[in-house]
Amino acid sequence: MSKRIDLVNNLYPTTKFIGVIVIILSAFIVPGWKYSYSIFFVCALIALGSGKLKSYLIITVNSLLVLILLIFLMQSILIPSKEILYKIGFINVYKDGFYQALNLSSKLVAFTSAFILFFRVTTVKDFILSLENMGLHPKVTYVIMSTLQLIPEMKKEAGVISDAQKTRGVETEGNIFVRAKAFVPVLIPLVLSSIAKTEERAITLESRAFSSGAKKTRLYNIKKTRNDTIAIIILVVFLILCIGWRVLTIWHF
Amino acid sequence: MAFLELKNINYKYPTSEDWVVRNIDIKIEKGEFWAIVGKNGSGKTTLCNIMRGFAPSFFKGTFEGEVIVDNKNLNDYSEGEKATKIGFVFQNPFVQISGVKETVYDEIAFGLENLGLEEQYIRNKVEETLKLIDIDYLRNKNPFELSGGQRQRVALASIIAMDPDILVIDEPTSQLDPDGTEKVFEIIETMKNKGKTIILVEHKIELIAEYADNIIVLDEGEIILRGETKDILKNKVLLEKEIGIPQYSILGYELRERGFNIDIPTTEEQSINIISNIMQKKVIV
Amino acid sequence: MSFITKVKNDFTLISVLLIPVAVAINFVGFQLAQALKLPMYLDSIGTMLVGLIAGPWVGAATGLLTNLINGIFNPVYFAFIPIAILIGVLAGLFSKHKMMLGPIKIGICVVLMTLILTVAQAPIIVYVFGGATGTGSAAITAAFLASGKQIWESVFSSTIIAELSDKGISLVTAFFIAKSMSSRYLSKFKYGEQYMKKNKKTNIDDIV
Repeated sequence: MSKRIDLVNNLYPTTKFIGVIVIILSAFIVPGWKYSYSIFFVCALIALGSGKLKSYLIITVNSLLVLILLIFLMQSILIPSKEILYKIGFINVYKDGFYQALNLSSKLVAFTSAFILFFRVTTVKDFILSLENMGLHPKVTYVIMSTLQLIPEMKKEAGVISDAQKTRGVETEGNIFVRAKAFVPVLIPLVLSSIAKTEERAITLESRAFSSGAKKTRLYNIKKTRNDTIAIIILVVFLILCIGWRVLTIWHF
Repeated sequence: MAFLELKNINYKYPTSEDWVVRNIDIKIEKGEFWAIVGKNGSGKTTLCNIMRGFAPSFFKGTFEGEVIVDNKNLNDYSEGEKATKIGFVFQNPFVQISGVKETVYDEIAFGLENLGLEEQYIRNKVEETLKLIDIDYLRNKNPFELSGGQRQRVALASIIAMDPDILVIDEPTSQLDPDGTEKVFEIIETMKNKGKTIILVEHKIELIAEYADNIIVLDEGEIILRGETKDILKNKVLLEKEIGIPQYSILGYELRERGFNIDIPTTEEQSINIISNIMQKKVIV
Repeated sequence: MSFITKVKNDFTLISVLLIPVAVAINFVGFQLAQALKLPMYLDSIGTMLVGLIAGPWVGAATGLLTNLINGIFNPVYFAFIPIAILIGVLAGLFSKHKMMLGPIKIGICVVLMTLILTVAQAPIIVYVFGGATGTGSAAITAAFLASGKQIWESVFSSTIIAELSDKGISLVTAFFIAKSMSSRYLSKFKYGEQYMKKNKKTNIDDIV
C-alpha cells in the first residue's frame, strides 16, 4: 500500500499539474455531464491511492456543495422555461434550467476536484521549486513562501490582539454597529506593527545577499524520474483519445 | 590606508530636516574592536547604516563624504560584495530571520545560497558555524519557535557563515535577558579572537569596558571623544551626556575622593586589583 | 523607459516585502469579519492598501497572490482572480490620479470601484456559476429572480449592494491605515507622499 501512496505523490510537480490540466480539458472536450461528474470520483480514487482521501473529500464538499445547490436553485427553479420536469408542491423544476444547471455544475465539479486533488498530492513548496527550475524569479519564490508562513502568524496575532482588546472593554457581541466598531481596534494595530517590520526585514535580506544577483544555489532540489515521462505519455495519449471521442460524437450526429 | 575609513561624512535621511551625522572622520585598522556609544538619537544606528553601505544606497537621503573599505570605495562594491565584506546584525531578533526557511540549518545556509556558492562548501560552512557558535543543538528547530536570545544567535551565525571581514553590530542585546546577553558576547569575543574587525553599538558600558579596545563617543551626530576604551570610559563627560561610565570607574572616583591615590579602573579585574592593593596597604592615602 | 521596465521599477525590495503582509492582511480581515459575524467580506483591505501606496502593479500582484492561495483550498477563487487584480489596479490608479483626497472624492472612488467591479464580476458569475457564488449575494440574486427580474439584472443588482458596502468600508479602512503610517515609512513608496501628515517634523529618535 505504501508503494501506491508514493506513486502519484512522488511525481514531479509540473507533471502532476499537466495531469490536472489534461483532466480539466477532457471535461470540456468530452460531451455531456456524466463524464465531468465522474471526474470527482476518479480524483477521489487517486486521492485514496495517495492516502489523501479524507482531506480531498472535506475540501471538495466545502467548496462545492452549497455552490452546486445554489446553481440548481437559480437555474432550474427560478428561471422559468416552457417545459417542467417535476412539480414539488407549488415549486416548478424547469427542464431547460435543470439540464443547464447539470452541465454547468458538472464542469465546475471537474475543475474543482482536479485542482483540489493536485494540492493534496503536491506540496506548495515542491510546486514552487519546480517553477523555479523552469525559470521563476527567486524573488517571486520568496514572496510566495513568505506569505504562506506569514498568514498563520498574523492570524494568531489577530487572536491575541482581539483578546487583549476584549479585556480592555471592546465589545464583540451585540448589534451590528457594536460588532463593526470592534473591527478597527483589532485590525489597525496588527496592520501597523506588521508593516513596520517590513523595513527591518528588507535590511535582513540585504544583509544575506538577497539582491546579489548571483544564480542561487539550492540545497534541496527535486528531480524528474522515468515515472514522469511515462505519466506524460499516458496523459497526452488520453487527451488525444478524448478529442477523438468528441470528433466521433460530432460526426455521429 | 586604514581598513575601514569614513572621510568627512555628512548624512541625512530623506525626511530629516538637518544632518543626522556630521563631520565624521573615522579610521579603523584591520582586527580592531571599536565600540560606539552615545545617548538615544545621537546617530549611532545611522553611523552603522553608513558603514554597512545601507545609507545612502538603501535609505536614500543626502550623503557627503567617502567610505573606503579595504582600499575600495564602498560605492564600488556590489550588493553581494557588501554582504560578504561587512556583516550586519541589529537589535530586533524577531525580524532577523529570513521567514522562508524551516530549520536553523537552512536559515544559516540562506545567505550562502543567495551568493550562489557551491553546495558542498555551503554544507561545510554551515556545520562549521553551528559548532563555532555552539548552536548545533538547534539545527533542526524551526526559527519561528526560538526565543529572542536564540534567534539573535542564529542571526549572528547566519551572518558569520558568510565570513565577512568586518562585523557591524547594533545593540544586539537590548531585547535580551542577561543569559542571552552573555551568550551573544561570547560569540562576539570568539569573532574578536578570529581577527575580525568589529564595530559594536552598545549601552551596557561594563561589557564595552571588558571587550572593546577602542571607543567612539557620539553626541548629536558628531564625534566628541575617541580613543582607547580604558582612557575614554572614565571620562566624566560620559555621565553628562547620559551615556554612563562603568560602575568600577564610579567606585574608583569614590575611592579617590576619600583620598586614595589610584588609577581609575574601568573593568572588574582592574578594580579587584586596586582594592586588593589598598587592602595590602600598597596604596598611599 | 519601456513599459516592462516601468512595471519592474514599481517592485522595489520594500514594495515586494509588503506583498506578503498585505496578503496576510486580506486573510486576517476576512477572518475578523467572520468572527465578528459582519455581513461583509473585508478581504481586500491589504490589496487596496498596497495599491494605494505602492501603485497598481504591486496591488495587482497582491490580489493575484491572495486568490491563488485561497484557490488552493477552494478553486472557485481562481475564477475571481481578475477581480482581485482589478481591485489592486483601481486602488493604484486612484492614488496615481490623486483621487483619495477629501471625503467627497473618496466617496467617488468608492462608487467608481463598486461599479467597475460589479460590471467585471457579473459575467463571471453568470457564465461560470450560472448566477450563484454560494454567498450572501446569491441569496439576494435569488430574491431578485423570484421577483421576476432577468438573471443579468438580478446578479447585477445584488452584486452592487454587496459590493458597495464591502468595498466602501474596505477602501476607507485602507485609506485610514495609509494615513496612520509614519512619513518616514511612506516616503519609501511611490505614492506614499499624498498620505503623509502635513507639517510633521521627523522625530530623529525614529531613525537613529
